[in-house]
Amino acid sequence: MLSYTIRRLLLLIPVFLVVSIVIFLIIHLVPGDPIDNLVRVGSTPEQKAEITARYGLDRPLVEQYLIWLSQLAQGDLGTAIVMRRPVADLIAQNLPYSLTLGGLALLFSTVLGIAAGVIAAMNKEGRIDRTVMTGVLFGSTMPSFWLGLILILVFAVQLRWFPVSGARSWESLVLPVLTIGLGGMALVARVTRIAMLETAGKDFVLLLHAKGLPARRIQLRHVLRHALLPVVTILGLRIGWVLGGAVTVEYVFARPGLGMLLIKALSQHDYPVVQACLLMLAMAVMLGTLLGDLIQAAMDPRVRSALT
Amino acid sequence: MKHQLRKAFLTGSTTLMTLAASSLWAIAQEATFVMPTNEVGAATYNPVKSPMINAASPLIFDGLVVQDVDQSFHPHLAESWEEAPDGMQWVFHLRKGVKFHNGEPFNADAIAAWIPSFAGTDNAYMVEAIDKVEVVDENTVKFVMKRPEPNLLFNFASAFMGIPAPKAYKEMGDKFGVTEAIGTGPYKLTSFTVGQETVLERNDDYTWGSELSQNKGPAKIQKITFREIPEQSTSFLELKTGGVDLLFGVPTDFIAQVKAEPNLGVITTPAYDVAYMPINVTSEPFTDIKVREATALAVNQKQILDSIYGGIGMEAHNFLISALPEANVDPKLNISYNPERANQLLDEAGWKTGANGVREKDGKPLKVKLWAQTDTEFKRLAEAVQAQLKAIGMDAEITIYDSSAIRDEYKKNQHQLAVRSYEWNNADIIDWFFSGQRLGYPNISMWNDPKGEELNKKAMTGSKTLEERIANFKAYHEYVLSQFVFAPIYQPVTSVAYNKDRLKVTDTMLKKGIEPSQIMDLEVVQ
Repeated sequence: MLSYTIRRLLLLIPVFLVVSIVIFLIIHLVPGDPIDNLVRVGSTPEQKAEITARYGLDRPLVEQYLIWLSQLAQGDLGTAIVMRRPVADLIAQNLPYSLTLGGLALLFSTVLGIAAGVIAAMNKEGRIDRTVMTGVLFGSTMPSFWLGLILILVFAVQLRWFPVSGARSWESLVLPVLTIGLGGMALVARVTRIAMLETAGKDFVLLLHAKGLPARRIQLRHVLRHALLPVVTILGLRIGWVLGGAVTVEYVFARPGLGMLLIKALSQHDYPVVQACLLMLAMAVMLGTLLGDLIQAAMDPRVRSALT
Repeated sequence: MKHQLRKAFLTGSTTLMTLAASSLWAIAQEATFVMPTNEVGAATYNPVKSPMINAASPLIFDGLVVQDVDQSFHPHLAESWEEAPDGMQWVFHLRKGVKFHNGEPFNADAIAAWIPSFAGTDNAYMVEAIDKVEVVDENTVKFVMKRPEPNLLFNFASAFMGIPAPKAYKEMGDKFGVTEAIGTGPYKLTSFTVGQETVLERNDDYTWGSELSQNKGPAKIQKITFREIPEQSTSFLELKTGGVDLLFGVPTDFIAQVKAEPNLGVITTPAYDVAYMPINVTSEPFTDIKVREATALAVNQKQILDSIYGGIGMEAHNFLISALPEANVDPKLNISYNPERANQLLDEAGWKTGANGVREKDGKPLKVKLWAQTDTEFKRLAEAVQAQLKAIGMDAEITIYDSSAIRDEYKKNQHQLAVRSYEWNNADIIDWFFSGQRLGYPNISMWNDPKGEELNKKAMTGSKTLEERIANFKAYHEYVLSQFVFAPIYQPVTSVAYNKDRLKVTDTMLKKGIEPSQIMDLEVVQ
């Protein structure tokens, strides 16, 4: 298990390099540059050239990439060109907000998603199953940007239960968590339901029934345990998704976070910030997948034995 | 005995009531404002170094002079000033008894320490003309100039020239403006979270409000929270539900909705923006001045104002906002809708009406490219202009780019016409957009004309006094207009929406809008 973990971690390095190249190229090849956002009315072309040189943007792309990568290796994310602060500071300021929101949304979608999936599976083809699955379908198809505004209209404007926006109190977390969590919940519920129905058809379940165990106990103790394996994989993938998917939600609810930072930096073409944000999101996806695989290995002896 | 008791009870209850009233008053003297969306994300309150500054900054820092909405200059931390006739010296007499938030005195030494700190920053050009600062006495400071700078007062009135406390500025280094920001303004910075909110506490020692506000200090509202909300629908809903009390910069689309709410008010004032259409003079057929003139005269400003902006705002007929003296050009040179003349000019230029109403010359149809950036407003403007050009037989094809990408595209010189806007309240914007030094972007018209360059040089560096500068810029502006390198379209308004149940605004605010100096007079409804 340990050697497997180490091997998986080492494998991340080439993936990381490829991701960093892709991120670097995307942002640098898109037309537009940050200096246009810096120079103001009245400054001369010479002043502009000076600023460009100050940030090394006049050098060849390959050289710029190597400089960025070597600084990155030393843990230096650089300084924001337009926002004028160390990028690490900006990330450190925004990451906790994103992690809180993402973590709670993930928790919400895990708990409610599994619960909904189990309920639906136990009432297979019944009225409850149909109702839950319809609701889930609805939840998974609604764009989060729109859902966020609708939730604001209903719960903040009409009912006045929660504040419209901001990040000042725990109440202001409820609507954003719901917005992100509902989509994830839908996915988890569907996967749980299908996995449970599939497991229920296995021979060992038949045996358990033959042994005379109560049906409810078979479902919750035995079937669910097996069915959770694909769910864990999905959740691992969602970890990265939850951070990235919060971008539009943070924008609608005026919450600080990686997404807000990314949107702002994108519109200003602030290269170091965009690069760092995208890198963080890519890392989250990579680590999330790894975590999902490790948990799966820990849970399933078959996967573990295949490793050695 | 009974009587006495009753009396005691009465006094007690009055005391209770006063107590209740005073605590209510204390709670009520707080307000929450929402920053304009284009100011969201300003990373620091360091006016010297920051490339971007927001609406809270002028409340923390005072400047030497203030500028009124009519663009006139008024004393603030400088009580008066004299300019040498050759423009090579300026003497400023500073107001006495002014203190920074940390107790440092405001005096000539503070100015002498502040001006050199601009060196090497992006804002350096604002003081670039100042050779050195001489301290004449405690409250008098002399600027010795490298060259005359008639724009000096304008620069001093800018928010970037709010004066920081010299000792704190030096000691805190890069932390200044991030953890603390110390000026002489009517409010002190208590907390600041980038992209989220800024909390300001009233400066109770403040007695040096400028003549633009009735109240000289201290300010009436005790605590102001500036929130940053990027999504405009969200900030409108916050205002509607009472989560915030005032929105700076309400988009025109929302004004009708704000007006429909009985407890909300809107104040609309002229903005510093001009929407215009640059014409690329190096691209066929616009190399012909007659075609350029025809194109400019085809733009129907009145129709655009009425149909797109619902009559809110003003028509633009030259390049500058109407409040600037340099906008007051010879009326004959103003560019206005004139379809007859436009058609006649195209006929003269050899473009004859062909099939489908599109003009032709030597078998080639009059097809042009019209660019715009992604914002809804520009898309609509482009469509309106497209229809108006069609009316004179010009077939314009619209292409949309994102706002950063479009600047790179301009530099490739593949464009012909574009709809865009700028925001600036100084005539030097003509140099920015039409100087031959900046072809592509910002000089989208690609205009590089020897006479234009000569007039530019005279206006930019050849003026000794403000009067001379105005005259020189007017001449430059008139020449630019006569060459039809752009078509003026529209001057927007800026709107502030507020909760009438919460804020009491003055008549001046209703007329002039809520400028930083006006916040001194703003009151929370009791």
